[in-house]
Amino acid sequence: MERMGSPVCHSGGMTLKTAKKTSGFVLAALLCPLLGWVVITAAQDDDRGTIQPAQARQALTLIHARCAVCHTTDLIVQQRLPADRWTVTVEKMMHWGADLSKDEAAVVLQFVTARYHSGAPDHLPSIEEELAMIAPAAGPRPGFEGPVTGVASRGAGLYAHNCQACHGEGAAGGAGPKLARNTILKNEGAFWETVLHGRGPMPAWSAVLSHQEIADIHAWLATR
Amino acid sequence: MTVSRREWLRTALQGIGVGMVVGPGFPSIVTAQGNEARQGTGPLTVRVSRPFDAETPVREFASWLTPNERFFVRSHFGPPPADSVKPDAWRLTVKGLVKEELTLNLKDLQQLEAVTLTAVLQCSGNGRAHHRPKVPGVQWERGAVGNAQWTGVRLRDVLQRAGVKPQGAHVQFQGADRPALATVPLFTRSIPLAKALHSDTLLAYEMNGRPLPLLHGAPLRVITPGWMAESCTKWLTEITVRADETPGYYMQQAYRIPETAVRLSSGLPGSAMVPVEQMPVKSLIAAPAEGDTVRIGPVTVQGVAWAGEAPVVKVEVSCDDGKTWEQARLLGEGQPYAWRQWQFVWSARTPGPTAILCRAIDAQGEQQPATSPWNPGGFLWNGWDRLSVTVAA
Ligand code: HEC
Ligand code: HEC
Repeated sequence: MERMGSPVCHSGGMTLKTAKKTSGFVLAALLCPLLGWVVITAAQDDDRGTIQPAQARQALTLIHARCAVCHTTDLIVQQRLPADRWTVTVEKMMHWGADLSKDEAAVVLQFVTARYHSGAPDHLPSIEEELAMIAPAAGPRPGFEGPVTGVASRGAGLYAHNCQACHGEGAAGGAGPKLARNTILKNEGAFWETVLHGRGPMPAWSAVLSHQEIADIHAWLATR
Repeated sequence: MTVSRREWLRTALQGIGVGMVVGPGFPSIVTAQGNEARQGTGPLTVRVSRPFDAETPVREFASWLTPNERFFVRSHFGPPPADSVKPDAWRLTVKGLVKEELTLNLKDLQQLEAVTLTAVLQCSGNGRAHHRPKVPGVQWERGAVGNAQWTGVRLRDVLQRAGVKPQGAHVQFQGADRPALATVPLFTRSIPLAKALHSDTLLAYEMNGRPLPLLHGAPLRVITPGWMAESCTKWLTEITVRADETPGYYMQQAYRIPETAVRLSSGLPGSAMVPVEQMPVKSLIAAPAEGDTVRIGPVTVQGVAWAGEAPVVKVEVSCDDGKTWEQARLLGEGQPYAWRQWQFVWSARTPGPTAILCRAIDAQGEQQPATSPWNPGGFLWNGWDRLSVTVAA
């Protein structure tokens, strides 16, 4: 985890001062109270707070799965912003439809503020390269949790939030293949393997969706 | 890393070659499919793979016209499905505060008088990466600009056919591009009626003598010569005459600058925000290239310079990192809205590292500043261009 640790933890004192100076008013006036704690923590802590590998993994997975819906993550990695502007940016994305819970948003925000701050090096690895560098989660590989029965009506909304941008409305295909009537729906082993662990440009969903939610999506896809 | 690189290139690039991508953190090579696509195409520097944002390497600006396949691409949401903008499926509607609503196809439009003019098209965010403190947005460096010949009809002629009602004061443009999720605001823009009625404001269907490529707005886009590119809506399908400026994110929040300069790093604007319109005077060095080693003796420094609605009258070059300046020679004839090529022969005498700078002045006396006023969106960068070179003995 050396590779993960060092760039995440490094912060320039210079950047921090910029963030403090520019963000006083903004912090008070604009911060969404739900997200504010991350920024305040970052601004108070001269070391910017270490990002634990597990948190980094969760943040990267979320960025890959939830942010890449509308634009590739290169747009995120090229920013070098103070905490206040990151907060406003992530809030804007959520307002526009980035599907993150409060806790997930806090994880993403903490990661991007620590990683892509104004003093960070010009070139940093892509989200996908970082994901590839990270070892898989410790402990038993998420496997079969016992039979779950999918509920198609719940799957529709989950599909719309998580999959539609790439697989198209009605699962008719888009940047990702058509899923409606796709033979993979009958091959549950392959379906679960692909959805849980990802494949190429297809994000891994094991850290993002529960098995119940994936089963719901599967059930809905089967009705298409 | 890109979500849909293969698929996406197949559907969207349509014969436009996209080659090397600069900087680690990006895929090292993005190759267009097929040999025919690779032929006669040049590399673009990709900033965002989807929706596609890519800039032209400045060495291309050694030529007066920027070829279509090397022209920078800025996409809010990317091209609409190719079928929907095929000439036989596509329609333009003209509505709002008009006496008669119109629905036109491309042939109808082409009945109107055709006009050709050469104009610089530049993204307002070109040079955003140079602003300090840094601001959010696509981190464009120098190449989100190009000079092309546009052929089309006057927007004025179309508006005259529909008849603008007296209350009409703004003309709104809507393209066929749509965001991935419907919760994202549409890219809807308007320009004041005076600019819309200007005889040089075009609805263009050709770029450099060829039908407008899909990435550049096929089959029809707006061209507002002298103004920044966000008024130049691509894939145009709707023109709406309105009494007020278009509401919504892309007109009321994005593409605005403070009316008076803001204090550096004051974080947020302290003054009213007004829409970005005219291009400020600017020049770029096309050759030599950043990091080049040149030999002692004569070195040709060349580039381009342009300004919004006024011609460029002077370009100055410094080959000693800004200590002394000399006047460059302007090439060819000045043409309104087009950029002007310039050249300067530098006698490089002192071995070692140095920097070459350039700055332009327009007919209104506006001078390119050393650095541009900071603004929260990072728009309108026009600071002196600068590159480092080494003189070899
Ligand atoms: C619902 C669609 C959507 C999702 C999901 C989304 N974005 Fe965006 N994002 C946009 C749009 C639209 C833009 C503006 C692009 C433009 O103007 O070219 C944008 C722009 C950005 C920018 C550039 C700065 C700016 O304000 O224009 C950053 C940084 C960014 N997004 C980060 C993220 C992050 C981090 C996530 C995940 C938490 C995310 N986005 C998820 C739609 C989305
Ligand atoms: C960011 C874009 C993106 C998102 C979001 C996305 N996918 Fe995919 N998906 C892809 C791509 C691209 C492929 C093709 C992968 C390949 O080429 O190997 C794919 C492949 C698949 C496959 C395999 C299809 C086959 O024919 O082999 C399944 C199943 C799948 N996705 C399900 C989902 C589900 C379920 C979701 C939502 C929870 C989802 N995807 C979200 C891009 C995406």
